[in-house]
Amino acid sequence: MSSVTVGTAMQEVIDHSEVVENEFVKKWKEGGGKVVGYTCVFTPPEIIDAAGLFPYRIRALGNPNTEIADSHLARFNCSFCRSCLQLGLDGTYDFLDGLVESNGCDHIRGMYENWQYVKPVSFFHYVKAPHVITDDSMDYYREELRLFMKALEEHFKVEITDEALKSSMEKQEEIKERLRTIYEMREGKNPAFTGAEALSLFLLASAVPDEEFIRMADAAIEERKGSSVSGYRARLMLAGAATDELELVRAVEAVGGLVVTDALCYGLRAFYSPLDLEGDPVEAMADVYMKDMLCPRMYEEYAKRRDFILGKIEDASVDGVVVMHNKFCDVHGVDNVQIRLDLEKRNIPVLALEKEYGSRADVGRIRTRVQAFLERIGG
Amino acid sequence: MGVGLELHEKSEVNAFGPKFGLFDRVSTLFELVEKLPDEMSDAEVEGVLAVIPKETSKGLSAMLIPRLRDVSLIFLKTIGKWLRDAKNAPLEGKKSVLVPFCFPPEIVQAFDSAFPVTSEVLSTIGVIALEGQGERYFNMALGLGLPDHICSANAVEIGSMLGSDDFQPQAIISAAVGSCDINSKTHEMVSNYYGIPQFILEKPVDDTERGHPLYKKNFRRLVGQLEEFFDEELTEEKLRRVVEKANKASELMLELWDIHSAVPHPVPNLFALFTYGTRFAMWGTDEAITTMQAMVDTSKKRLKNGDYPAEKEVARCILSYTSYYFDLANLFNWMEEQGYSYIGDGLDLLWPTVIDTTDRDTMLDGLAMQAWNMPMTRQVGGHSMSMCWLEDLIHVAKMWSADCAIYSGHHSCKQTWSVSNIVRAELMNRINVPMLNLQGDSWLKRTTPISVIQKEIDEFIKNVVLPKRVGKKKVRKRA
Repeated sequence: MSSVTVGTAMQEVIDHSEVVENEFVKKWKEGGGKVVGYTCVFTPPEIIDAAGLFPYRIRALGNPNTEIADSHLARFNCSFCRSCLQLGLDGTYDFLDGLVESNGCDHIRGMYENWQYVKPVSFFHYVKAPHVITDDSMDYYREELRLFMKALEEHFKVEITDEALKSSMEKQEEIKERLRTIYEMREGKNPAFTGAEALSLFLLASAVPDEEFIRMADAAIEERKGSSVSGYRARLMLAGAATDELELVRAVEAVGGLVVTDALCYGLRAFYSPLDLEGDPVEAMADVYMKDMLCPRMYEEYAKRRDFILGKIEDASVDGVVVMHNKFCDVHGVDNVQIRLDLEKRNIPVLALEKEYGSRADVGRIRTRVQAFLERIGG
Repeated sequence: MGVGLELHEKSEVNAFGPKFGLFDRVSTLFELVEKLPDEMSDAEVEGVLAVIPKETSKGLSAMLIPRLRDVSLIFLKTIGKWLRDAKNAPLEGKKSVLVPFCFPPEIVQAFDSAFPVTSEVLSTIGVIALEGQGERYFNMALGLGLPDHICSANAVEIGSMLGSDDFQPQAIISAAVGSCDINSKTHEMVSNYYGIPQFILEKPVDDTERGHPLYKKNFRRLVGQLEEFFDEELTEEKLRRVVEKANKASELMLELWDIHSAVPHPVPNLFALFTYGTRFAMWGTDEAITTMQAMVDTSKKRLKNGDYPAEKEVARCILSYTSYYFDLANLFNWMEEQGYSYIGDGLDLLWPTVIDTTDRDTMLDGLAMQAWNMPMTRQVGGHSMSMCWLEDLIHVAKMWSADCAIYSGHHSCKQTWSVSNIVRAELMNRINVPMLNLQGDSWLKRTTPISVIQKEIDEFIKNVVLPKRVGKKKVRKRA
């Protein structure tokens, strides 16, 4: 079993990352602040931040209960979306003052339509991201970002200046810089963080005010300098569908598979690419959020996704890759087949996992399959 | 463009012989169908059905019942011609292009050096006409590791392509981007698997003045890519040749849409399938005009004579999205015999228009709008999946005086599944039309048997639709 001593700094991160409405959100709201929720990486949080609002990335944290959501979405929809909708409808997300939809996939579109149909939020905006990168689609997306800014300005009676945008971008870069450092520390020869801890840190970055994250991340980095995770059997990469399931990563690591890197949108894909802080802010955001998110819903970008994964396998000395998708997830379900075929062609061991999001019943099966995979790769 | 997974080695995967693939099997079968006489007696039909495999016989017998036989033979023969043309295309130096159902094939027809092969039409023919009803090809797709929730409409065809020495296109047009993830993703994978180009026509999920111009640009981009790939200019003359034929077929479809309004419904239930089968595969050809004309003539005749297959029309139904294709007799014909008119389904939401043929630009713009208005693209590729779908359903439900809607619940349609409850609620709220949500696979018989589907439709109509029509029942208070 992978293990490392958890100090007070890391424990603080873990504690705050495991709740949806953490104490910093509550404090922000008590101070009269507004919170705007978003899910997909095609929504730049910098824009929300520049409006003086708190950008909160919606998560379900492995919530297995979906009984309210199931009366709106169908069982043929992915359980991550059903789980998020459940929390939207059961009151967990009542602290949100706005919702930002984006067309990440068919399921998430349905989730937002049902959320807004059943329990409307006063500010609701749809950022429409093209699926193909062309000069025309980039123009369209830049215009989408400008319309998003305008909608926020009108609804919340604020002004988003270029200076505010640049300042928010700089703050986001400071956050991303910390995350990149944490990833370097886990990808190295002596990993300083477990995969579950890295996910906790990632989740915290989009759920607390910037300065709080920077404080906690710096403390955790300092605390882990010179530390090394021990007791693992193999170094794994986790790739595939959107997941914020700390328990899933813990289950993988509990049987000795240390997750040393990932290619997840709740992970590395969301922050590896830096923003250009010198040029026009909208141009810079459009470039990163359209071109570099490596999401399988971009239909001409497969080679880029594959090469990114191959690069990270090399960088992090990965022994095997776990590609997973939630049942009924189309974009990852098919992309993972391509990835698996391409990696196997290069003799890189792959475990393809289809799973139900947040299902406790699935944990035993996943552990068994990971154990078998570790046996197979000689870990 | 496909990046080339370079994994397909036919000698290794084809362990079943040269005529194992779906395309080969259906094209061979339809070579026989083309040889059937134009008019057949009951005895001749019985004779033909007796010598063909049981499941092939099941599909054909549904179409060859006396009241449908003339039009069915025309439809089957035009499909036969389409398959023959597709088979001969490489021999004539033409490139075969795999297109989705939500794309106007007449654009490809306009090129001298290309031929469109519609993926879902091939799958559907396989399911209707082949022994095994296409399931072995679906299994092949799963054997490659594709998840079992992929769409069988694509998986049957591409399973055959990936798993046997079957037809292989030279390029793929992917036009479901923006309206269906699984369709887009599956075709992306085929493109990568074979290293063949994938040309994408993306529909922005935006019905505003910003969405339309972008779509038109995307459409022009696609035409440019095709011209380059085929090394052929799409001239005004070539376009006009197919657009004029497409216009004629569209006029006939509009005529059929008018006839749908009549009570009792004069259009045979199975024409719903024939209409979009023709649209998705053959628009822009003489065969499409012939088939549409035959359907209009038969429907007009039934209208004039007041013919209806059942004693009376009991309910007028719209299937809100896909139908079921694995047992035509026990869905379309059975419904008709119960007095349940099947006016159309979601794939009949084709919004035919006559394209301005003034010049190349007007024709390309017109074709772009046709592509925009294709089923699925227009509804769930819209700004709001639920509202765009709902608005279209309300429009046709009013126009055709529908009593109810039935959602087939094809399990792979994640976009419609995700908003079907909103649509059901709003159909009731806005126009008092109840919608039944079924669950099943539209193409695979293994998911929900047709007997269960029949039972649910029957109970829905008898217990929900008919009581609504005669007014609310008084509920006696308990003592």
